[in-house]
Amino acid sequence: MVFRSAKTRIAVGSAAVALALVVTGCSSGKTTGNDSAAKTITIDKAFDLKTADPGRMYEPTGEMVDKALYETLLTFNGGDVSKVVPGLATLKESSDAKTFTLTLTGTHKFSDGTPITADDVVFSLDRVIGVKGNPSFLLDGVTVTKKNSTTVVLTTKTATPALPSILANPALGILNSKVVKAHGGTTTEKDGAEKYLNTHSAGSGPYVLSSLNLASQVVLTANKNYDGGDNPTYTRVVIQNVQGPTQKINVQGGSADVALDLSGTQATGLGSSVNVTSDPSANVIFLLLNQNPTISKITSNPDFVKAVKEAIDYSDLVSIAGTGTSQAPGVVPSMFLGALKASDELKTDASAAKADLAKSGYAGESVTLNFPSDITLNGIEFPTIAQRIQSQLKAAGITINLAPAPVATELDAYRNGTETIGLWYWGPDYPDPSDYLVFTPGNVVGLRAGWSATADASISKLADAATVGGSNAARSSQFEALQKALNDSGPFIPLLQPGNNIAAKSTVSGVVYNAVWTIDIAALGKK
Amino acid sequence: MRVGKPPRAARTAHPFLRYAVRRVITSILLVIGVTLVTFVLTNLVPGDPVAAALGQRAAEDPAIVAHFRAEYGLDQPLVVQYFTYLGNLLHGNLGVSTTTHNPVASDLAQALPATLEIAIGAIVLSVIIGVVLGTVAAYRRGKVSDHVLRVVSLAGLSVPTFWLALVLYYFFYFKLHIAPGSGRLDSDFNVPHTVTGLYTVDALLAGQLDTFFDALSHLFLPVLVLTLYTVGLLTRFVRTAVLEILDQDYVRAARAKGLPARTVVWSYVLRGASIPVLTVVGLAFGSLLSGTVLVESIFSWPGIGSYAYQAASHLDLPGVMGVGLLIGVMYLLVNLVVDLLYGVLDPRVRIA
Repeated sequence: MVFRSAKTRIAVGSAAVALALVVTGCSSGKTTGNDSAAKTITIDKAFDLKTADPGRMYEPTGEMVDKALYETLLTFNGGDVSKVVPGLATLKESSDAKTFTLTLTGTHKFSDGTPITADDVVFSLDRVIGVKGNPSFLLDGVTVTKKNSTTVVLTTKTATPALPSILANPALGILNSKVVKAHGGTTTEKDGAEKYLNTHSAGSGPYVLSSLNLASQVVLTANKNYDGGDNPTYTRVVIQNVQGPTQKINVQGGSADVALDLSGTQATGLGSSVNVTSDPSANVIFLLLNQNPTISKITSNPDFVKAVKEAIDYSDLVSIAGTGTSQAPGVVPSMFLGALKASDELKTDASAAKADLAKSGYAGESVTLNFPSDITLNGIEFPTIAQRIQSQLKAAGITINLAPAPVATELDAYRNGTETIGLWYWGPDYPDPSDYLVFTPGNVVGLRAGWSATADASISKLADAATVGGSNAARSSQFEALQKALNDSGPFIPLLQPGNNIAAKSTVSGVVYNAVWTIDIAALGKK
Repeated sequence: MRVGKPPRAARTAHPFLRYAVRRVITSILLVIGVTLVTFVLTNLVPGDPVAAALGQRAAEDPAIVAHFRAEYGLDQPLVVQYFTYLGNLLHGNLGVSTTTHNPVASDLAQALPATLEIAIGAIVLSVIIGVVLGTVAAYRRGKVSDHVLRVVSLAGLSVPTFWLALVLYYFFYFKLHIAPGSGRLDSDFNVPHTVTGLYTVDALLAGQLDTFFDALSHLFLPVLVLTLYTVGLLTRFVRTAVLEILDQDYVRAARAKGLPARTVVWSYVLRGASIPVLTVVGLAFGSLLSGTVLVESIFSWPGIGSYAYQAASHLDLPGVMGVGLLIGVMYLLVNLVVDLLYGVLDPRVRIA
């Protein structure tokens, strides 16, 4: 071949030199290029990730990531969130639920090989309180004191029986205080360690952070100094940001080993090479009917509330939600201490609804149902649920006017207590029934339903009793009584616990849903 | 009245240079306008960014809320916020995202190359295919091939990209196994050292050929989906533009002179049709840079579209402002380049 012009010769020559440079100097970009023993597992998750810094993290993806990077003083076994077990420490709780003595077991060390001390515990918990981030409220009213090099005492002014469950949250993971302080960490709002903690981890968990991109993927590698009981099978974990429809194809096609966000519909027909674990999630979708007469005369009428409860076809709602979904027995999810049994669920009764509606004096006026139009919870779209409720209530003679709005804007009306009827969900802040006391008169969600502190003395009395604490059995019966009363005369209608569907290749073992951290990555194994 | 002479520099400057300077100055003024419009629109949206950014319990705590407002400057009056934003902008500071807690500039610097990589691939392919198909359709006006091409291009425009992306992914990846999974790289690969942010280029610069080919294979489906849409658009525009030029006297004269068909097409027809086609190419490229959110969602592509959606759904005002400004500036840049190319292609434009 002859290149006639000088320009062509120069161009071809340059390209040849560039190609030669590339080829001769080429190396492999594969992770297994240098380490043939590396075993990678790929997990698909629709990211809501904002940070990996435990002091600021409070999103489901972050909980899962930080569970792998950090250890907590107390923890849960598998998917059982009704009972805390020792983690880095053992617990001794005072009978008034105001003093919690935690003694380090001394068998764990940080990923840099240094031992975990009481100073690290005090620093980590004080930092969560001091930076005033999303999880700071978990330790509201808690004072952390070092008793000696292995013992820390947590005290509260009021009874806080939920504190042991709270301590199992990965947001309260224990940090290597020396490392964090060296990178700007403090226990005040001036803390500057977040950037460091988004590129490195400083914990004692089974994994260390290799890289984090909030938009695309998180890569974890096994912690070589890990000496806990959860030794990971996979030495490298890639958590990819992938939406539900693509997750299904990925796990079927093999580019993902685990898919965490499949809806009830997507979780069917995946083939024999994929196993699906379906459990009700800890989210509860509910309706609120405003009890403030200035907001609505009709929804504040007890007979109208009763009629709506009886007119809703709960089994129909469950059927449209798909695999794994169940009717919520009360506001407390079914897997928590104090949850109601299925026999206590609200029941559909068309003729009773008709009678109660007549008693309420409802004259056919249109009642507004507000809901966030862009929320899809475990694959359930809120507009679909709202439309179905509208048609069910229409059959009972109640006219509903749907008023959808983006969640970012609808939140204002919800939080200000100005919705007539609202369709929302409550995700647990921590797996203890006391998190649901917000649904009582004068408390956060109660006020959103226009339910003032003096609105229902009998329910307030039950709530006060449940606040005090006691044995698990005593607390369980207190919360059951409270929820039965709420179902009977409260302004809330618990509707659904959406299914949480996890699909995994049939070669992957150890997939167990946990209401706090979704899955324990270190527990995943190979069949 | 005595008309003064224009300044010496203006008199001596090349007409194209004067034209270019005018366009650049106009673009700068437009950028300032874009910041104002973006700021006003972003703040008109009902809803409280604090409620959207903080968890339910955190948003109930006045101390946490006050800290959040102070940290992001939301405790200042809107006018102060705007001028602070402009002042920071002069130093290249677009603020800090309330969602990712990163500087918006660094978030955008990560997201933009991902979008550029698929947008450049799609626009290059679309121009090549669209010009060829549009020209063929025009030359074969009224014949079967013209009708087929028009129907196909209409289908390309009409099919929802979200659906098309999902279907193509299902068949090419899951059924036929000829395309890789979602994302920019297989999970077995490390991200190449960032130089440009374009994985294909960075992999080559790092001398990692296997990473390069993996990144290239991951571009296949997103580029294909975007190309199918843009080709439909361009084919129809090229056809119309070429048909208009074919009726011009100078094209008839060229044919009458007996010039070879290839010369007539390249030097007369396509050159004549290039101005309207260039306009559409510019708009299509701008649209590819800003409107790929659904395709990015299906292919787990962490680009500008995904970032914009995430920022908007969390009422992340600095993030939304940053994306708005970036897209505005990109449109202006693309239009500036298109305008300058007008001047290159058509001397009448720069003289006017």
